[in-house]
Amino acid sequence: MRRYMAGLLVLVGLGAVSQEARAQEIQLTGPLAGAPAVRQLRLHREGRIEVAPSVSFTLLDEYQRTILAGARVNYNLTDWFAVGLWGAYGAVQSTTALSDHIQTVAEQRRSTEDGSLNDRLVRPNVGPKFKDQLGTMNFVLAPQLTAVPFRGKLSVFETFFVDTDAYFFAGPAFVGLKERANCGGGSGVDCSDFNTGYETASRMAIAPTFGLGFTFYSGDWMSFGLEWRALPFAWNTGGFDTKGRNPDERFPDGVIDEKDREFKFNQMLSISVGFYFPQAPRISD
Amino acid sequence: MNQARIGLCVAAGLLLAPGYALAQESENAPVDNEQVVDLDTEGSVDGAGEEDADLDGLGDICAIDPSACPTVDMDDAAERALGEQMYAVQQIYALRHRRFEIQPAWSFSLNDQFVNHPGPVLALNYYITNVMAVGVSGGYYFNNDLSFNAQVRRAARVAVPLNEYQWQAAVNFTYVPVYGKFAGFSDFIFHYDAYVVGGVGALSDRPYAVIDPTNRTFDFKPKLAFNAGVGLRIFFNRWFAAVLEVRDYIFNDELEATTIATGTAKTDESTWYGESKLTNNIQAQVGVSIFLPFSWEYRLPK
Repeated sequence: MRRYMAGLLVLVGLGAVSQEARAQEIQLTGPLAGAPAVRQLRLHREGRIEVAPSVSFTLLDEYQRTILAGARVNYNLTDWFAVGLWGAYGAVQSTTALSDHIQTVAEQRRSTEDGSLNDRLVRPNVGPKFKDQLGTMNFVLAPQLTAVPFRGKLSVFETFFVDTDAYFFAGPAFVGLKERANCGGGSGVDCSDFNTGYETASRMAIAPTFGLGFTFYSGDWMSFGLEWRALPFAWNTGGFDTKGRNPDERFPDGVIDEKDREFKFNQMLSISVGFYFPQAPRISD
Repeated sequence: MNQARIGLCVAAGLLLAPGYALAQESENAPVDNEQVVDLDTEGSVDGAGEEDADLDGLGDICAIDPSACPTVDMDDAAERALGEQMYAVQQIYALRHRRFEIQPAWSFSLNDQFVNHPGPVLALNYYITNVMAVGVSGGYYFNNDLSFNAQVRRAARVAVPLNEYQWQAAVNFTYVPVYGKFAGFSDFIFHYDAYVVGGVGALSDRPYAVIDPTNRTFDFKPKLAFNAGVGLRIFFNRWFAAVLEVRDYIFNDELEATTIATGTAKTDESTWYGESKLTNNIQAQVGVSIFLPFSWEYRLPK
């Protein structure tokens, strides 16, 4: 009982003290009152144009990896806000082990079980060259806004020190895609026809893009960048018939169309080298 | 003892200082010839400017100790190199040297589209130096069969051997080559470091029986596993930080055989296993770091 009473008294005491504390006003005094956090700060961004050639690597791909070559152009209105454009071209595509496995199994099946139930079930989904029917990211064009809330420095091996900033960006992306063309149903194309059933068609997907990155300034006019980007949208990466039939259109319907597109949280990692114009940064007060 | 001496010296200095101060003119002292002094104009007070110019501002020193008066040349003294030592980063915010780190985290699979392996992870490290630590870590896995698995099997009729993980444990070595600080919105400052970690241990897993679930049941077996990763730690205060880590657990995995033996051999366990495959289980780990003891004393004041 004494403990409870003591506890209550402490709580009451704390409540009383905290009420008084709320009434306090914090006043900064002394020679540093009102002074900026950093003086003579190199404003690497403010009023400068950044041109940053980049190489981007897609992550967590199911069937095909893409390496995109491109560049980012930013105009930095202030040291913490920029408007710009990122564009990249899908320069290199390479299949994953899963794609190679699917190709190998499909070839074996056709040579040993041609016309079997398995072969007939798979034929609308896997063509003579599986790689050729895969969804491919041809190019990306993304106008974007960049906010740079964090600015600092880092020490590497306690030997050299690098000005660094961390930024976030977002904007719409226009993605040039190549994916398996519509077939079956009313399209007039047989999805199992080795000659015409596995052709691809191009389209433009519009998707949000956002991410974050680090800039490491190696000098007044040059920097290195590391950036993670998300590009979520729905597409048919494997060229498979996976949806369309009820219940809830969750089963294959023998037709390749937009219903077979699946939402993917596409991601990529980019490295870049940035060049700044004018070449000399401003210095803050 | 040193503190006591310093205190005595400071006290003695304070006693001496007021002695000189007493010799100064009081603000309220009567002025014989009241004059308006224009501080923007040199020599506005008769005689005063000339006297200051002659003594280069050493009037007080000369008055106190005439023998020191001619020996100080203020111009030379001002140009003299100070040779002071500047620190690029003064006093590392969160020292790790001789501290324990408790690091609970939650891990997510990054590179397995068929089965997800999330789970809790706990790491304990001891920092031998400020940048090097040894420690142990361990984790438990849950296993989630993803819809992608069913889609691929249905569309391509491809049997992909799958494995479920049980636990992992390892001894690790951590090195912290990078540390720094950021000003957030030019308003607050936070500190961070980046580290690399590597170790060796074991990972226990077993195949899912997807090829012949009627006859095959697999037991968990621990396998030798190496791990390597990188991490980023953001300090909220000197003993508490958020951690983001990506670590690759590398081990030689035993997969289920994709072919089924005929006859009674199909129940023979030796026919259940197929190829062994070097597997990279890449996990993202999000957690916190708690450093013990909570506080420490810097060796030097700066």
